[in-house]
Amino acid sequence: MFRGRPWIVASFLLPALLLLGALVVYPIIFSLYRSLFDASGDGFVGFGNYQSLFTDPAIRKALQNNLIWIAVAPAVATGLGLIFAVLTERIRWATAFKLLIFMPMAISMLAAGIIFRLVYEADPDRGVANAVAVSVHDTFSEGAPWPGAHPRPDDGMSEEPDGAIVLDQAVSAGDSVLLPLVRVAPPAVADAEQAVPAASSSDGVTGTVWLDFTQGGGGEPGVIDDGEKALAGITVQAVQDGSVVASATTQADGTFSLPAEADGAQLRLAASNFAASYNGVDWLGPSLVTPAIIGSYVWMWAGFAMVLIAAGLAGVPREIMEAARVDGANEWQVFRRITVPLLAPVLGVVMVTLMINVLKVFDLVLIIAPGSVQPDANVLALQLYTVSFGAGSNQGLGSAIAIFLLLLVIPVMIVNVRRLRKEAQR
Amino acid sequence: MNSAIRSSRRTRHLGQIAAVATAAALVLTACGSDDSGGGSGGGGGGGDNGASLDLPDLSGETLEVAAVWTGAEQSNFMAAIADFEEQTGAKVSFVPTGDNLSTFIGQKIDGGAAPDVAIVAQVGVVHEFADKGWLAPVGALAEEQLAENYDAGWRDLGAYEGEQYGVYVKAANKSLVWYNNTAFTNAGVEPPTTWDEFVATAGTVSDSGVDPVSVGGADGWTLTDWFENIYLSQAGPELYDQLAAHEIPWTDESVTEALTTLGELFGQERLLAGGSAGALRTDFPTSVTQTFADLEAPSAAMVYEGDFVASVISDSTDAVVGEDALVFPFPAVGDDSPVVSGGDVAVALSPDTGEATEAQEALMAFLASTDAAATWAGQGGFLSPNKALGFDAYPDDVQREIAEALISAGDDFRFDMSDLAPAAFGGTTGQGMWQALQDFLRDPEDIEGVQEYLESQAAAAYGD
Amino acid sequence: MKTSVASRIASFASGGLVRAVLIVLALLWLMPTAGLLLSSFRDPRDMASSGWWTVFTDPGQLTGANYTEILQNDAITGSLWTTALITVPATLLVLVLGAMAAYAFAWLDFPGRDWWFIGVVALLVVPIQVALIPVARLFNTLGLFETTFGVVIFHAAFGLPFAIFLLRNFFAEIPRELLEAARLDGAGELRLFTRVVLPLGGPAIAALAIFQFMWVWNDMLVALVFADPSSPPMTVALQQQMRQFDSNIDVLAPGAFLSMLVPLAIFFAFQKQFVAGMMGGAVK
Repeated sequence: MFRGRPWIVASFLLPALLLLGALVVYPIIFSLYRSLFDASGDGFVGFGNYQSLFTDPAIRKALQNNLIWIAVAPAVATGLGLIFAVLTERIRWATAFKLLIFMPMAISMLAAGIIFRLVYEADPDRGVANAVAVSVHDTFSEGAPWPGAHPRPDDGMSEEPDGAIVLDQAVSAGDSVLLPLVRVAPPAVADAEQAVPAASSSDGVTGTVWLDFTQGGGGEPGVIDDGEKALAGITVQAVQDGSVVASATTQADGTFSLPAEADGAQLRLAASNFAASYNGVDWLGPSLVTPAIIGSYVWMWAGFAMVLIAAGLAGVPREIMEAARVDGANEWQVFRRITVPLLAPVLGVVMVTLMINVLKVFDLVLIIAPGSVQPDANVLALQLYTVSFGAGSNQGLGSAIAIFLLLLVIPVMIVNVRRLRKEAQR
Repeated sequence: MNSAIRSSRRTRHLGQIAAVATAAALVLTACGSDDSGGGSGGGGGGGDNGASLDLPDLSGETLEVAAVWTGAEQSNFMAAIADFEEQTGAKVSFVPTGDNLSTFIGQKIDGGAAPDVAIVAQVGVVHEFADKGWLAPVGALAEEQLAENYDAGWRDLGAYEGEQYGVYVKAANKSLVWYNNTAFTNAGVEPPTTWDEFVATAGTVSDSGVDPVSVGGADGWTLTDWFENIYLSQAGPELYDQLAAHEIPWTDESVTEALTTLGELFGQERLLAGGSAGALRTDFPTSVTQTFADLEAPSAAMVYEGDFVASVISDSTDAVVGEDALVFPFPAVGDDSPVVSGGDVAVALSPDTGEATEAQEALMAFLASTDAAATWAGQGGFLSPNKALGFDAYPDDVQREIAEALISAGDDFRFDMSDLAPAAFGGTTGQGMWQALQDFLRDPEDIEGVQEYLESQAAAAYGD
Repeated sequence: MKTSVASRIASFASGGLVRAVLIVLALLWLMPTAGLLLSSFRDPRDMASSGWWTVFTDPGQLTGANYTEILQNDAITGSLWTTALITVPATLLVLVLGAMAAYAFAWLDFPGRDWWFIGVVALLVVPIQVALIPVARLFNTLGLFETTFGVVIFHAAFGLPFAIFLLRNFFAEIPRELLEAARLDGAGELRLFTRVVLPLGGPAIAALAIFQFMWVWNDMLVALVFADPSSPPMTVALQQQMRQFDSNIDVLAPGAFLSMLVPLAIFFAFQKQFVAGMMGGAVK
């Protein structure tokens, strides 16, 4: 080590220290001081601002969300990073894969926010997340023939909670009933046939199910007017004492015919005919908005975790794993018992780095959350910004939030300092 | 300044529709591309030109104007400002503030770099700025213009505690329902004139298989506008003024009635596009585009909002205003149809001295002049509160009708209540009226809870 | 040892499964960005009614019009320039000041050196939001508010702890003999620093430069508060376009993509150094 002359040391060190002092250290001290005063800056309020951190519902919500962020985002990103790192270990195109996962790190939070606004768009025709959700859903459950069709209110039919439509009055043999429905979009019936009244049969029950709405208006409710279309493929059930005694399906002209068993039964149009089409998940609704934004954060930062963990993995001695495999351990056991424990220090570093980073998240929330759910998605960093500037601003409260954020990272600061001192002693 | 991003797209749009357009629609869409001196062609109304204005020589001066506008709105405004630059030699730059103008201005004043003039949408914000001592009175020159060109109603909106701080530069007619012509034709319905007819029409449209009413519930301000129209029409202007000033509590019977009326729409899932959950996640631009994007099978039939809906329609959909997209006045709940207006007010910022510079005063005076209004109107997408401006300054019939409806309401128009209120109550995401009405949309049964919430928020915000 | 046919099939199948999973993951990770890219080439009227994936069945809707317009928009192109004007000096300043301080911490002896260093490293975790209010006032007094210089030194200050930490650890690894030899040749501290330490620190400095560059380029918060809004950097210019009244997606999508181009290019060109820098930094 060279003993430097004071002026040499100073000339190397001072510029950096001055900048740090003025723009990082001074603000901390100033914020501490300012946080003890009210909005105007004149009235001393002691710890009043800190109290409102826990009483103001908006800030409490932000605090709560911050806790979710800290608990979930680093863990998920690290977990994914670990999985990616292990999976790519023996793949030839691992570099290309890693590059792709890693790429979002180069993107600004603003651009990522815009990207994920597009992804989470609620309309399945426009938002890719819901487009996928809907197509997966529709693969596993068949769509209803007439989603959204309903009876008119007060038309002698009622809707059950599950969506089935029931004719209030029981039918008897020889009846020919009319079952008018509405609220089917015009394009859906463009190719349907004209509805016709069903011919009555002496021992059974017949009827017609049709769209009781004349295009362009003018039709009479409850009457099959000219131009009103048949609703084909609807399952009509005859229900007696809660069990289905007969069932039929409407023809292309809307008519159906039930056998004699239907006599005295109640007619029911099964719920499966009308199940509203699945429209995906309300990603940016009040309950899912924070997880959704965390998803975009994980998209950005899983690559970071992956690269660090992969580097750590490269340093793990192969022999130990090979020895375990020879001893008959399967891949999962090797992963659980050997890889993860050996990587523990790296995983810890990644988690801690991400935790600090998560506290600073601001742009993503500001941009992704729609106005009406922004209070539900709020985080401290954003609350600090909105509370500090503007007409109703309160910089005392803003400063208190800032100091509180700082308090949250102090444990990490201490851990860092401890490790440094240990290293110095080496 | 830059060539507008949007205007050139409008030019392209013009090409697409030119063959089929009616005269009205043609002029409307064309206006955006007419950047140079549209005012001289558009009108000014000959002799009806208001007070003449002698502006000082301001060569070498620079002025900064801050507003939320972007795109076409920004370039239309700058087209009007170009006349000012020409007459005075001053240089005016424009700063878009992003959506939260009040935060933006606060930040800049903290840093000692306030813009010279800000154009604010909420009266409440103007009052708060004035309370903080950030504003300068408009000055004699602008007062003169205001006296000549503006009705007392509009002048008073820009005044606070006896001092004239603001010049209303732009008005909005917020009592319009826009509808998809195809959806109405398919359902065989006509534009309703009363609220009962409106609800019945919505029911018929629903029967026809199209969601009747598109509500942009993700943006709280669209919901407050719904409420205000109903309240103004049902309870009348006097109660409206009292409620706006918080002289009667939000727990008042009249509020219960208005919410009950609004509940006749919001309470019926089948009348809202996507139900109430769908409405809550629909932002304003989407509420418009989902009504007009698909002209053959529209996903919604009607959308309520102000005249500015027209520009969203022509920017983001293929629908032609005046042809595919038509408009009717907000239905009458009580005796008369309501006319709720909004607007943007220019204020001169002077946080240090509280006095305007010569250049600031000149710009404020210019903004109050009929020349400025005429040039601006010629650009389209603009309504002026300036009564001296002849209607022929507007470039198309739709715009002209909307302007006439606004001006002819005379003293019966009322300014958007949420914009009159303190920002914390009337204009902030997650609290006050915005939050209350979003809660109401979520659960229209709980009128009492909403009223209590409104009252507690109002009490805090008005400081009583 | 002989592997049975069955186990070979099993390992092949699991290898195939891993590959399939990775391909799905890769697509999943690429999709958001690809969606933005394709959206930026679509007319806003198409965007209002259908998703970007429809271009695969109907490529005719792709158009460069959004880009033509945005490139004619002085506000946006100007903001790219402003971003560069902020990013380049902020990066250089951190490199120079950080390297000087790191050298002092690594190779010069002075009282309380380790404590000073620990103090600087502790600042690594200070959230940037803490400084917004006080620095806004400070800059107001100094006349630095809304100046490029103010934004630059703000970024430099918050970049310094990481820079000093990374470089000091790297410099400390330089063999002592090398420095002593130079010193015996009569080299002064400045000469030692510029001729020996800096060249040897090349890789760490490169990594740091890339880091700092990306961080500053992508920043929105600092620029939102301290930059001149009439000629703002790209992120703020785009943020100004986000409106309640108008979705402006035809500006936002191409704008966001343009803003990503430079950091992405740097990322792909220097990914090795980027990773190396992260490794160095992660030991913090």
